[in-house]
Amino acid sequence: MTLVLVLAVASCGGSGTSNGERKAQELSGAGATFPLPFYNVVFDQFSGVNGDAVAYGGIGSGGGIRNLRDKIVDFAGTDAFLSDKEMEEMAPVIHIPTCMGAVVLAYNLDGVESLNLSGEVIADIFAGAIKTWNDPRLTALNPDVNLPAGAIIPVFRSDGSGTTFVFTDYLTKVSPMWASNYGTGKSVNFPTGQAAKGNPGVAGIISQTKNSIGYIGSEYAFAQKIPYAKIMNQRGELVEPTSTTISASASGEIPADTRTSITNADAEGAYPISCFTWMVIYKEQNYSDRSREQAIATLDLMKYILSDEAQDVTSKVHYAPLPAKAKELSMKNLKTVTYNGMAILKD
Amino acid sequence: MNDKLYRTILFIAALTIPIVCGGVVYALITDAYDAFEHFGFFRFLTSSEWSYTEGAEQYGALPFITGTLLTTLLALLFCIPFSLPVAFFVGEYFKGSRVASILSTVTDLLAGIPSIIYGLWGFYTLRPVIITLNISPQGSGILTASLVLAIMIVPYAASLSAEFIKMVPNDLKESAYSLGATRAEVVRKIIFPVAGSGIFSSYILAIGRALGETMTVTMLIGNTNNIPTSITSTGNSMASIIANQFGEADGLRLSSLIAIGLILFLITAVINMIGKMMIKRARIS
Amino acid sequence: MANQKIKHRLAKDKLMLWTICIFATLTAVPLFAILGEVLLRGYSQLSWSFFTEPTPTAYKAMKAIEAGEPIPGGIANGIVGTMIILSMAVVVAVPVGILCGTFLAENRKKRFAKIVSYLTDLVQGIPSVIIGIITYIWIVVPMKGYSAIAGSVALCIMMLPLIIRSTEETLKILPASLKEAGLALGGNKARVMMKVQLPAAFGGIFTGVLLAISRVIGETAPLMFTALGCSFIRWSINKPISAVPLLIWEFFNDPHLQELIWGASLFLLIFVLTLNLTAKYLAKKWNQ
Repeated sequence: MTLVLVLAVASCGGSGTSNGERKAQELSGAGATFPLPFYNVVFDQFSGVNGDAVAYGGIGSGGGIRNLRDKIVDFAGTDAFLSDKEMEEMAPVIHIPTCMGAVVLAYNLDGVESLNLSGEVIADIFAGAIKTWNDPRLTALNPDVNLPAGAIIPVFRSDGSGTTFVFTDYLTKVSPMWASNYGTGKSVNFPTGQAAKGNPGVAGIISQTKNSIGYIGSEYAFAQKIPYAKIMNQRGELVEPTSTTISASASGEIPADTRTSITNADAEGAYPISCFTWMVIYKEQNYSDRSREQAIATLDLMKYILSDEAQDVTSKVHYAPLPAKAKELSMKNLKTVTYNGMAILKD
Repeated sequence: MNDKLYRTILFIAALTIPIVCGGVVYALITDAYDAFEHFGFFRFLTSSEWSYTEGAEQYGALPFITGTLLTTLLALLFCIPFSLPVAFFVGEYFKGSRVASILSTVTDLLAGIPSIIYGLWGFYTLRPVIITLNISPQGSGILTASLVLAIMIVPYAASLSAEFIKMVPNDLKESAYSLGATRAEVVRKIIFPVAGSGIFSSYILAIGRALGETMTVTMLIGNTNNIPTSITSTGNSMASIIANQFGEADGLRLSSLIAIGLILFLITAVINMIGKMMIKRARIS
Repeated sequence: MANQKIKHRLAKDKLMLWTICIFATLTAVPLFAILGEVLLRGYSQLSWSFFTEPTPTAYKAMKAIEAGEPIPGGIANGIVGTMIILSMAVVVAVPVGILCGTFLAENRKKRFAKIVSYLTDLVQGIPSVIIGIITYIWIVVPMKGYSAIAGSVALCIMMLPLIIRSTEETLKILPASLKEAGLALGGNKARVMMKVQLPAAFGGIFTGVLLAISRVIGETAPLMFTALGCSFIRWSINKPISAVPLLIWEFFNDPHLQELIWGASLFLLIFVLTLNLTAKYLAKKWNQ
């Protein structure tokens, strides 16, 4: 009898990953501000599953990666996946995509209810090559609209940001001029226009400056009801950013490590400036004296975000859910995460 | 407890300040080293490039040094016409009265308002006013930041100046009055010369406050990395570029930001030294 | 002719008086403008739940805005965080600051004291963002995590110069006879300081402490690098934690929580102004 009891107790105290068998943990993460509204809801719901508390600070994608490199957080949130070079400087990491979002072109034009833009035109506007709203290339795209003759005032981010990264990544793909002069990056040498800090800064300037146009996260534009443009995608369709059109961007190939940019997707009904946002964790979870429970909790969080319950939240807060392929690849990648060299997730 | 233990405890407590300072300087220098080595100290100070092109990054501190100095100078200019009258109101004209006490309290309360609230007020209230007045299209910029900064430093300048004005010996003033001088003349010919260096030192204190202000300036200065060409143009101060970009910076850019922090620290140290010397002279005379 | 000149001088005198009065009164305007604005925008949010509930998620806020209801939740996590961080900072800064200020007052002539005095002013002038970065480097990274402890270290550094200065200045103003009488009665230096001088200086020191608290309670930048922030009420000191100014900054950056900015700012403003007024009142009382 005692033997059975002892065996029962021994098997319970093992390293299972099922709920209710481990102590509630406190996790901390830092990074991108772009998915914050989504993360807040997900973390709140997650705490109801096993009591794990998650604290996340929106200090910017770069800050999050830095924190991860300094090994002071459980995960980093980033809109820009780590480059090969950056990955060389760190111990091996896993990228887990969490949801999809979009960068929209918000504008302030009197009496203009809808605006159509194309990639090359946007690049030329931000490069200063198209200077006024009634430029022939703009009127050609917007035949039914009365565009004013005023000068265009582009607005961009002064702080480094994942949103800038996604935006410039798109411009690099659609405009050879942009690719050779400005390129892609979290901070880029915008030649003209006004800078502002953070989404509220840019949105604030746009709403108060006539004839201005700037790029902000979709969530922000929807919440503040700022008018944004329809953009022509690779198939020639003029697309508005919605959950459906954002998801459509991800219907193509996704690499095994999920590090991919989906801007300018060649897919029907795709909104061309869409993006994934990722959480990055270390492959080997035993760093900075983390306990095994901590590692298990971290993986539970990753699994939860990929679950239907969390993904259903995305469209409620104006993001888009992950395509099935991304979820599959992520689960595969999660299974390679180890603690002291041994895989954490069974099966 | 005996005297020896007492003195030792006090000494150890006093050591905390040099330790903190040392920790600050050491961390700043070690992290700024890369930038200075890469660009050269003087070139970094005088270069106005700030370009992120991969592999050919160029960073220079000049636009931000200019931004800080310009906003501080303008803040000083805007604050003098208000802090001086308050100082004279409280220290001379209505000295000791209830009104003076109220004004002094109100002015000091300005120092209590957290800087983020100044930033919010500037962003949501002052900016639209500046846009409506057609002073500048986007409302933020050197001018806006300097205006709010001026309000923030008024209490520092005013209360310390008032102290020095109060300290002017009565007999000096009495003898001037007995010779038929008007109040204005006493102010100009007696109070100013006597309390002058004390008043000056209070403005040094105010400058010190303005140099380091981060949050408010970041929210109002417009955040562009160029040397400002007019007071309505946008720019960045040393504190605001650090606050802006630190979150995303890495490698050479991070080192450059810390280098800027070090430069700001040095400028503050020099200004403090000047201020201290002036206070010493004021107290002696 | 002489009459003309006197009239001229008297006119200048009157002009000076009026200029001073007008500009001095104008200086009071910003305080009331800011206070008024924050009050107007924020008073509707102040409620019992505002102070006892943690921040809502963007989703809850969005739903409330759509339904035309006030946003649920509040700033309780920030209030708890601020209290924890502040109390830890005060517990260290006050004794160390008083002791250091005493050292400076007792050793005015010594070279070391003069250096420390200069360095104290220097530390006071360090921009808050740099103090945040330094604390990140020296505390957060070795501790392998954001924490309330790191936040309190940053705030402690910012409080020290103010407490040191007010202790030093108040002790200097005390009449020398006080100390001499104490020594003459047979006390040693330590005793005289503890039982005679410091109690006499209590008013000025306490004012300095209140001012130091009001200075750091509204600081955002140092906490961004040390406490990180947290969306629920947290009592542990070695984990990321929230604070009221951090929340204000988060609300500023979140499109759904814009309205909460003003309630939180009003709370902070009233708290700080009350502290300042109390300090002033006490200073006056003790100076008499």
